[in-house]
Amino acid sequence: MRTLTNIIGYSTDHDISGQLHALSYDDRVEYLLLNREDTHRHRLRVTTDKGTDCAIALDRETNLEDGSVLSLDDDGAIVVRMKQEQWLNFKPRDAAAALELGYFAGNLHWRVRFIDGVLGVAIEGPEKFYLDRLASHVSSGLIEIVANE
Amino acid sequence: MKNTVSGNFPAAARIGIGGPVGSGKTALIERLIPALEGRGIGVAVVTNDLVTREDAERLKASGLINPNKVRAVETGACPHTAIREDPTLNIQAADELVNLFPRTGIVIIESGGDNLASTFSLDLVDYWLFVIDAAGGDDIPRKKGPGIVRSDLLVINKTDLAPYVGSDLEQMKVDAIEVRGDRPIVLTNCASGDGIEAIIDHLSQSVLFDA
Ligand SMILES: Nc1nc2c(ncn2[C@@H]2O[C@H](COP(=O)(O)OP(=O)(O)O)[C@@H](O)[C@H]2O)c(=O)[nH]1
Ligand SMILES: [Mg+2]
Repeated sequence: MRTLTNIIGYSTDHDISGQLHALSYDDRVEYLLLNREDTHRHRLRVTTDKGTDCAIALDRETNLEDGSVLSLDDDGAIVVRMKQEQWLNFKPRDAAAALELGYFAGNLHWRVRFIDGVLGVAIEGPEKFYLDRLASHVSSGLIEIVANE
Repeated sequence: MKNTVSGNFPAAARIGIGGPVGSGKTALIERLIPALEGRGIGVAVVTNDLVTREDAERLKASGLINPNKVRAVETGACPHTAIREDPTLNIQAADELVNLFPRTGIVIIESGGDNLASTFSLDLVDYWLFVIDAAGGDDIPRKKGPGIVRSDLLVINKTDLAPYVGSDLEQMKVDAIEVRGDRPIVLTNCASGDGIEAIIDHLSQSVLFDA
């Protein structure tokens, strides 16, 4: 277990990016692939893409971000990489369906975005969970699922 | 450098315990305190009560913990708001406890308990458990509330009472696995202490890093 307790800098910092670049030739940069939710945690146990078991413990003011560098020396580096967010998009048939969909999503505290009359729901868990909850809305034609643009 | 608290880590871990009223959240905390202290991990507790301070008073009087290490947040009408949308009061209470007791290794935050929809903000806690009552009906996991689906650890408590109300524990477990994928589940009986060590193992692995 590697214990990581602070953020040294960011992969975009001038000096750091140079060092990372040099280390990458020897394949010595390891990435921690995190979803958005996990970056809010101040303690977490995760494994890098190269299989290193990491225990992260930060103070309460420090937040993980895409590009946070948690370890860096001549032997290697550990860098956070945020997963691309996945959205499910629902298009309501009419105003009544939109009200119902909005109420439903709000009631379940889903994280949403609105784009051109389409409600996007951030997938934070199994996709099936969201689809199951809205199955009857979809089958009755109240809403339809539309592809990501 | 900031003050170093909680052993080798820059800050104490914070965990949340959510779940419906009566599912056994406070009972679980009463089991966790001695188990954690026994491993040398200092515990502080924040409770959220609707209008009373009943849970806090119960813990303070329990003899399990220094009463000054227990804080009550009175949440008013909507207990889930205090652990998700606006966790400020809870964050403050946890900060105060850690400042007063710098050797705290873990702050446990008990939600006021409402329905199956309550979840914890990860700005407030690093990891959260959701406690359901096995005697409350074996169809609970099938209802797929966010607490059941998204908690880091699902605790199916009161296993001792399941036979009396005809709850099928195996089915509950199967249903819970179905909705949770590989997120862990532990069966507990807080009356006897069964399953507590399994919870501690999960906490050690995921947030305490003391194993
Ligand atoms: N038989 C049995 N009773 C339990 C168990 N866990 C909690 N209880 C009882 O259930 C009641 C509610 O527990 P409590 O911890 O106050 O629930 P909370 O509202 O979720 O904090 C109390 O009377 C507890 O003693 C258990 O595993 N078995
Ligand atoms: Mg309670």
